[in-house]
Amino acid sequence: MIEFRDVTVIYDNDIVGLENVSFKIDDGEFVFLVGKTGAGKSSAIKLMTGEIKPFAGDVILNGVTVNTLKPKKLPYLRRSVGVVFQDFRLLNNKTVYENVAFAMEVVRASKKEIRRKVPTILSLVGLTGRAQNYPGELSGGEQQRVCIARALVNSPAIVIADEPTGNLDVETADEIMKLLMEINRMGTTIVMVTHSEKIVNDAHRRVIQLESGVVVRDEAEGGYSCVPS
Amino acid sequence: MYPLKTAFSSLGRNAMMTLASIVTIACCLFLLGVFLLITFNINYIGSQVSEKCELQAYINEWTSDLGEERILKEISALPNVDTAEFESKEQAFENARAMGEEMDEALEGMEGEDIFRSSVKVTLKDLTLADETAAQMAAVSGVAKVNNRRDIIRKVISVTNVIRIGSLIAMLILVLTAIFIIRNTIELSVHAREEEIHIMKFVGATDSFIRRPFVMEGIIVGLIGAAIAITVIAFGYSALALHAESLRDVKIYSFSETAAPLIVGVLAFGLLMGGVGSRAAVKRHLKV
Ligand SMILES: Nc1ncnc2c1ncn2[C@@H]1O[C@H](COP(=O)(O)OP(=O)(O)OP(=O)(O)O)[C@@H](O)[C@H]1O
Ligand SMILES: [Mg+2]
Repeated sequence: MIEFRDVTVIYDNDIVGLENVSFKIDDGEFVFLVGKTGAGKSSAIKLMTGEIKPFAGDVILNGVTVNTLKPKKLPYLRRSVGVVFQDFRLLNNKTVYENVAFAMEVVRASKKEIRRKVPTILSLVGLTGRAQNYPGELSGGEQQRVCIARALVNSPAIVIADEPTGNLDVETADEIMKLLMEINRMGTTIVMVTHSEKIVNDAHRRVIQLESGVVVRDEAEGGYSCVPS
Repeated sequence: MYPLKTAFSSLGRNAMMTLASIVTIACCLFLLGVFLLITFNINYIGSQVSEKCELQAYINEWTSDLGEERILKEISALPNVDTAEFESKEQAFENARAMGEEMDEALEGMEGEDIFRSSVKVTLKDLTLADETAAQMAAVSGVAKVNNRRDIIRKVISVTNVIRIGSLIAMLILVLTAIFIIRNTIELSVHAREEEIHIMKFVGATDSFIRRPFVMEGIIVGLIGAAIAITVIAFGYSALALHAESLRDVKIYSFSETAAPLIVGVLAFGLLMGGVGSRAAVKRHLKV
C-alpha cells in the first residue's frame, strides 16, 4: 500500500513541487498520475523511491514511512519497489540477460536463484530469444521490456514507472501497456506517470491528476482529462 | 568475488592512470618511510648525544680518597642519576691529552702539576630534570662546583623535538597528498561506472556493497605503492646503515632493527590511504 499524508515538497529554490497532497493506493491497484508539465508527477514518484524528502507530511510504503527511514535501511525498501525509467537506463556493455541478472547480483541473490529467475522474467516480457543481445541491438520497445524485467526480477510489491512509454511510438507503447497490465493482473501494484491521453482513456483505471502540485482529481476508472459535467 | 574482479578490471581499464598513481603513491610512501626512519633514529641519536652531555661534579682539592669514595656513593644514590663514574685528576690529564694533537703539545711535560681536578661524571635518566639534579649534586659536601651543560642539553632536546615535529608534519602532508591522489584515480573508475552505480542504488544495493570494489581498488593501489616504497627503502637504508657503521660518534639503527616497524608502518599507511581515498571518491556518487 502507498499512502501520501498531507505531503508538501519544496525545492531549494523555494519552488513548490507538491502541496498538501494526500492519497492512498491499495495493493494490486493500477494508478495513472497525470497532469501538465511541472505539475509535480515526478516529485511524487521520487518521494516513493526515497530520492527526495517531503518538506512536510509522510510518505508510507507497505507500512514503512519512507521520509523518516534511516539511510541505511533505504536499500531494503527499494528492493520492494521496482522502477521503470523513461530512458530505460540499461548497461550497454552487458547483455539483456546480464542486465537483468545484475539487479539480482547486487542484492546478493544466489547464483542458483539468478539462473532460475532471469529466464522466467525474460519469458514473461517476451524476450527469451534476445537474452544474449546487447541493448544497442534492440528496438526501443524491447529495451523498455528489459527495463521492466529488471524492475520485476526481485519480485517487488510495487512497480513505479515515470513516463515508461514517453520514448516509444504509439503501437510499441500499446504493447508495453499490455505488459504492464498483465503484470498488474498478477498482483503487482503499478503507479504510472503518462502524458498519453489514449493510454489513459483505453485503460479505464484510477487516475490521479495533479496541477501545480495539488491533487485536482482522483477518479476510479477515469479518463485523461475531466469529463465535463 | 564480484568486488575483487570488478576492482582489477577497473584498474586495467585505466591502466596508464593506475600506473601513474601507483608510482606517485610509491614516492609518497617512500618519503613517508624516510621520515619514519628519521623519527626512529632521532630518539636513538638523541640518547647517544645526551650521554655525552653528562654533568660533572668537581671535587675540592683537599678531599681524601675516602672522601672521594663517599662523594661518588652519594651522587650515585641521587634519584635521576643513571651512571656515575669517578675520574681522578691524572685520568683527566690523560683524557685531555688524548683529545687531540694541539692539546697534547700544550700539555707536554706538565705531568703532576695541579691543572685538573678529580671529578664525578654523571649521566642522567631524564634530561629535562638536569637542573634539579645539578643542584642536588652541588649540595653534596666536598663538591666544589657542578658543571651543568644545560645549554647543550637544552639544545639536544629542542633539536630532536623540532626534527620529530617536522617529520610528523611532513608525514601528515604526505598522507593527505596520497589520499588526494588515490581519490582522483578512483574517481575515474567511479565516473566510468556512474550508470551502474545509479542502477544499483535503484534496485536496492547497499552503499557498502556499491563501495566495496572501489575501496578494493584503492587498497590495491596503496599496497602496491607500499611494496615498491619498502623495497627501495630497504636497499637504500641498508647501504646507508652499512656506511654509518664507520662513523665514530653517532650510530643509527641497522636495517634489520627497523625492518619490522618500517614495513608494518608503510603497509598500514598504504592501506589507510587506499581505503580513505577511495571512500572519498565514491561518497558523492552514493547520494541518490
Ligand atoms: N531538483 C529540482 N530543483 C528545483 N526545482 C525542481 C526540481 N525538480 C523539480 N522541480 C520543480 O518542481 C515542479 C514539479 O516538478 P516535477 O518534475 O515533479 O514535474 P512533472 O509533473 O514531473 O513534470 P513533467 O511532466 O515535465 O515531467 C516544477 O516546477 C519543477 O520545475
Ligand atoms: Mg516528470
